[in-house]
Amino acid sequence: MLDPSTPGADTHSLPNWFLTLQRGVDAVTVALNVAGTILIFLVMLLVNFDVIGRNFFASPISGVPEMVSMSIVAIVFLQIAQAFRKGRLTRTEAVLGFVEKRAPRLRLVMDIVFATASALLIWQLYAASQPLFVKAWVRGTFEGTVGDFTAPVWPVKLIILIGCIALMVQLVMFAASALLRLLAGQGARP
Amino acid sequence: MTPFEIGLMSFGVMIVMVYMGFWVPFALMLSSFGGVWLIKGSPVLAGKLLALAASKTISSYFFGVVPLFVLMGYIVSVSGMGRDAFDVANHLFRRLKGGLGIGTVGANAIFAAITGISIASAAVFTRIAVPEMMRHGYSARFSVGVVAGSSVLGMLIPPSLLLILYGLLTEQSVGDLFIAGVLPGLVLACLFGVGIWLTAHLSLGTLGSAQDADDIPPLTSRELLQKGLPLALLIGLVLGGLYTGFFTPIEAGAVGCLGAIVIGLARRSLTLKDFWEVLNDTGLVTASICFLIIAAQMYSRMLALSGVPAEFGSFVATADIGYWGVILAYVGLVIVMGTILDSSSIMLILVPLILPVLATMQVDLIWFGIITIIAVEIGLLTPPFGISVFVIKSALDDPNITLGDIFRGAAPFALLMLVLLALVLAFPQLATALI
Repeated sequence: MLDPSTPGADTHSLPNWFLTLQRGVDAVTVALNVAGTILIFLVMLLVNFDVIGRNFFASPISGVPEMVSMSIVAIVFLQIAQAFRKGRLTRTEAVLGFVEKRAPRLRLVMDIVFATASALLIWQLYAASQPLFVKAWVRGTFEGTVGDFTAPVWPVKLIILIGCIALMVQLVMFAASALLRLLAGQGARP
Repeated sequence: MTPFEIGLMSFGVMIVMVYMGFWVPFALMLSSFGGVWLIKGSPVLAGKLLALAASKTISSYFFGVVPLFVLMGYIVSVSGMGRDAFDVANHLFRRLKGGLGIGTVGANAIFAAITGISIASAAVFTRIAVPEMMRHGYSARFSVGVVAGSSVLGMLIPPSLLLILYGLLTEQSVGDLFIAGVLPGLVLACLFGVGIWLTAHLSLGTLGSAQDADDIPPLTSRELLQKGLPLALLIGLVLGGLYTGFFTPIEAGAVGCLGAIVIGLARRSLTLKDFWEVLNDTGLVTASICFLIIAAQMYSRMLALSGVPAEFGSFVATADIGYWGVILAYVGLVIVMGTILDSSSIMLILVPLILPVLATMQVDLIWFGIITIIAVEIGLLTPPFGISVFVIKSALDDPNITLGDIFRGAAPFALLMLVLLALVLAFPQLATALI
């Protein structure tokens, strides 16, 4: 109810193999999205148990701040690909809309350039994040205080990597769909 | 090139990319990646900056509750509490001319006390208040205008997501910011109400052929209790718990969320399907906001590295435009950017830039936060990019009402917000009196 525009709505000009591929990619993206959604619900319960436990039973839950702060990173990277796919990343449509009316093919070119640049950028992010995961895995880095509460850091670092890959794939698909439409000689929206 | 020139250039490139229609978070990331690469001469270092910002920026307890505040707003909306707020407010204002319009403002003010995002208010009241007002002869333009205008109360009256964000950026107490938002929020609601009342008296035609809401039967006290009590309970739970120190502002989102779920279930107005839908939507909103915050963090680290904010600070300090010069220039810039960007992007881009400048001038950062929020929220109502207006358009099942109509309808309310902004600028006590 909140997205003004969903990209990729005009799919009929795309070849079938591409649509099948897109559906497969989307299924994975949605699965990540669902995992992130469930995690939000768990965080809500966790904070409430802590508040109730602390105030009524004098027994706070250890490590809630650590767990919450790790979860939010996981939530964001689990959902980011779906957020992009659903057109939720902010962009200004003023110039794009103007270009689309005057020169629909130029609009497609702009989309290809933007998405490709973004995909390369996320590749950089992935490449630089990978050592952080390896370090956390090899050294067994943890959050919290020994004797009270500790949680390993590597799952979050792994989720960052997964989220980057998922986002990158969606960006490439976005660029590819614009390219295919450009090659088919069509405007952005027929 | 000196780092300073590189910093300035990447700022310029970023602005151009944003205007061209590049996704805002990617534009921020790309300009900071490029900037650090040029300053340090190493793409590897620049990549490291990206990776560190991605894993560290939002990894805090504060950010963990962003989705909970969003979720709470959505749950109250799907479980019918917006409708209740509307009924109660109409009951209170039904004798006044323009009562339905004033009732909508009042309902938004009540609703704002249990939700932290404007888009939730905008979506809910488009569905509830607009059809009701149009049935009573109000013009379409006025009806959507009232909803758009009063939706901004959601961010000003605590709890408020934008105030949390500002608190994080400037390391101010979120609790203090919440309290500081109360008076300006109430004043704005009064300004809107009086504005509608005056228009109804002076030129009724502007509102359309509005009739008073006399044919709506007044609520019996039993109904009033039934509709009012859950709202009062939830507001009491969130604000009461906050101010008695039962839980922190950070935890208030989670507690309010659970409270809203329990009330929704108890009244059998929250279905599993609705719940899953809003939970999912919450995730997407959270991801896009937090990803933006990550990108903005990369960008402000790049800026800090280039020394632009410090130079900018000393430039302003020596430029002799004075205290009011700086504040007014900032407010103007925020409003201008508000015409094309969403609220959190503007704050994330401008606040890190202005902070070092403020540090030299002993500005009360709580007051400054309220100023920022009001200025930023004006942007919700201004074309070509006004989130509230877009949300209303997509929640509206009426192709006859165009985006232009909604923007025009919202314009008087944007003007009243300017009045509030001037009031808070002139009388800082409005923000600081209660703290």
